[in-house]
Amino acid sequence: MTLNQNRLTQLTSLMAEHDWDLLLLYGHTWRKDYFRCLVNFNFSGPHAVAALDRSGQVHVIVSDPWDAEGLPGAIFAPDFAAALQPYGTKRSVAIAGKEIMQARFTNADHVSATYAVEELRRVKNDDELTRIRHAAELSDRGYQHFAQAAEPGMTEYELVAEVEAFLKSNGAEDNFMLIASGGTEVVGMKPPTERKLQVGDSVTTELTPQIDGYWAQICRTLVIGEPNAKQLEAFAIFAEARQAGEDLLRPGVNIADVARVQNDVFRKFGYGEYTGPKYTRVRGHNLGLHPDENPYVLEDVNYIVKEGMVVIAHPNTYLPLSGYMVFGDTLLVTAGGCTSLNTTERKLFQK
Amino acid sequence: MKRGWITWDKTELPPSVFETRLAVVRRHLAAEGLPGLVVYTDVWRSNQGRYLANFMPYWNRALLVIPRDSVPILLCGLSPRVYPWIRSVTILDEIRPSTNIAQQLTKLCEEKGWTKVGVLDLPQLPSDLMVPNSVDVPWSAIHPAPDDAELSMYRHSARMAREILNEELPSGLGLVDHEFVGRLERKYRRGGVEDLVILVTNGDTPPLPPNGSTLTPSFSVSVAMEYRGHWVKIVKTLQQFPGTSSELRIELLSGPYPYEYCEPADIGEGAVFAAMTEATVNGKRIFLGDSYWQGPNGLL
Repeated sequence: MTLNQNRLTQLTSLMAEHDWDLLLLYGHTWRKDYFRCLVNFNFSGPHAVAALDRSGQVHVIVSDPWDAEGLPGAIFAPDFAAALQPYGTKRSVAIAGKEIMQARFTNADHVSATYAVEELRRVKNDDELTRIRHAAELSDRGYQHFAQAAEPGMTEYELVAEVEAFLKSNGAEDNFMLIASGGTEVVGMKPPTERKLQVGDSVTTELTPQIDGYWAQICRTLVIGEPNAKQLEAFAIFAEARQAGEDLLRPGVNIADVARVQNDVFRKFGYGEYTGPKYTRVRGHNLGLHPDENPYVLEDVNYIVKEGMVVIAHPNTYLPLSGYMVFGDTLLVTAGGCTSLNTTERKLFQK
Repeated sequence: MKRGWITWDKTELPPSVFETRLAVVRRHLAAEGLPGLVVYTDVWRSNQGRYLANFMPYWNRALLVIPRDSVPILLCGLSPRVYPWIRSVTILDEIRPSTNIAQQLTKLCEEKGWTKVGVLDLPQLPSDLMVPNSVDVPWSAIHPAPDDAELSMYRHSARMAREILNEELPSGLGLVDHEFVGRLERKYRRGGVEDLVILVTNGDTPPLPPNGSTLTPSFSVSVAMEYRGHWVKIVKTLQQFPGTSSELRIELLSGPYPYEYCEPADIGEGAVFAAMTEATVNGKRIFLGDSYWQGPNGLL
C-alpha cells in the first residue's frame, strides 16, 4: 500500500497536537478526497476508510472486494459498519469526513477532523504539484479539443461527449465539466442539454480533469462566429477582473481581497450588482483532491493565502451585455505572487 | 463527468408514474402517522431522488421533502440560477436555496409545525444532517419492487449498454486501456448516457480503473452506465467463457447507490442487480456479467 509519507507525518503530528488516539480518514464514491489524501487509491466504493494510530500504523477497510484486491493490505468488510465498530470505541477518535459519513458509522463521541485535515491539504507538496501540473496540462489540451470540436448544429451533450472521450483517452480518471451556450438569456452553466450551438452563441465551459486523484480547472468562453461588440466589451471586463485577482494573489493576502479586487472591476464599469449570489456563485476556489475545495474566493470568506496553495480565481458571472461568461486558470501561489499552470491563450475564443 | 445530459422525456416516464409513486409514499406516511418524508440525494447517491422526483444532482447534495398533504419541496445547495432547468427535468416546482440544508430542513419542519418527520433509510443519512425526532422509513417500505415504468427504463439502459459494448469490444484489443475507455465514453455519451464508470483488466487483477496498460487477448471490461437515472452494469471479454466458472459476484442496482457489492442472500424479490462471474483461462482471469431483475424473465 503506497502512503503519502509527507501527509502521514503531518497527520501523526496533528493527532499528537489534539491528543487523538485514532484518526479515521473516510471517503465515499463522490468524496474520496479525505481518504485519498493519505492512501491515494481510486476505489470503486461506496466506502473506504484509513484508520491511523499515533504510531503511524495504517489499516485500510473497503466495502468492495475488488477494491481490496486492487489495494494490497486493505481489508474487505462486507459489513462496513461492523468493521468500523472496534475502531470507534478507542478513547479519542477523530474523523476527517465525519459529516459525510453515514450516521450508522459514527457517534456523537467522535470529533470531526475535517477542517484540520483540509487545512493540511491546502498547501501542496512537490508530488502533489506534479500531479496537478499534469492535470492542468491535460485541461489545456482538453480545451483545445473543445474549441476544435464545437460547431454550429452540434448539441451541447455531443460536444461534451467529444471532450469527455478526449480526456479519458488521455488518462483522466474523471472530469467535472459544466457548459452553457446562447446569448443574454444564459444566466449560468449546468450539465449539457440537447440545445444545438448556433452562430453568435457564447459557449462557456469549465473543464476540470482529474489525474491520479488531483484536479485542475480551466474556464474559457468561445464565440461561434464573429464576436459582437457587446461580447467583446464584456470579455474586456472579465479579462481585467481576472488579471486584478491574479495580480493580488500571493502569500499573506486575505482571499476576501482577491474576490474584492475582481468585483471592483465590475463595479467600476457599473456592473457591481452582478457580483453577488443572484448572478454568480464564487469568484474562485481552492483545488486539489476535490475540484471545489475551501476556501472559496468570496468577499465574505476570511482566509490568509499561503505559499503552495493551488487556486482558481475566476470572475465568472452573468452580465446583461453578453449573458454568462467565464475566464480563469489554475494558479499556484508562489513566494512572490502566483503563476498559472495553464498555457491556453487568454483570449475570447472564436470558431 | 458527473453528469452528462440530464433530461426528462415524458413519453418514457409520464408524470402519472411519479404521482403513483408519491401516492405510495403518502399512504405509508399516513399509516405511520408521519407528516412528511425526507430523502437524501447527492451526486453519487441519487437513485431514490430520481425514483420519486426525477431529480439527480450533477453536483452537491440536496434533500427532497415529501409532505403528506402537499407537493414535494427540494432543499438544494445549487444556485437559484439553475432552478428553471431543475424544474424542466423534474416534477419539482418548489425549490428552496439551502447553503446549509440541515438548517433549512429544521426551518421547514418548524414552518410546517412538524414535531417529527420520516427519513428514508435514516441510519444511512450523512451524520451532519441528522434531525431530532426523525423516524426511519426503510426504502423497501415505499419501493418493494420496481414498477413497470422503472423496469422499462432499466431494460432500455441494459440494451444500450450491451449494444454499444458488443460493437466496441473487439476494437479494444491492442489499444491502451485509456484509449479504449475514451472510445466507449464517446459512444455512450453521444447516445445520451449521463454517467459511466469503466473498469478494465488484462486478467491479473479484477476489473480496476485503467492504468495505461495495453489490452491483451484476455482483457475484460466492466461498464456501469446511467441512462436517465437508471444504472446497469455489464462485464464482457473477448475470450470464450468456459462452461464452469468460480466466484459469483452480486451488486445491488436498485438500492440507494448506483451499484453496491452485496451477498446473494441480500437480493430479495423484485431487486435489480448485476451478477458477475469469473473463470481462469490460460492462467488469466476473465470476467462476464450482466444486469438482472429478480422476477420472471430475470435478464433486463
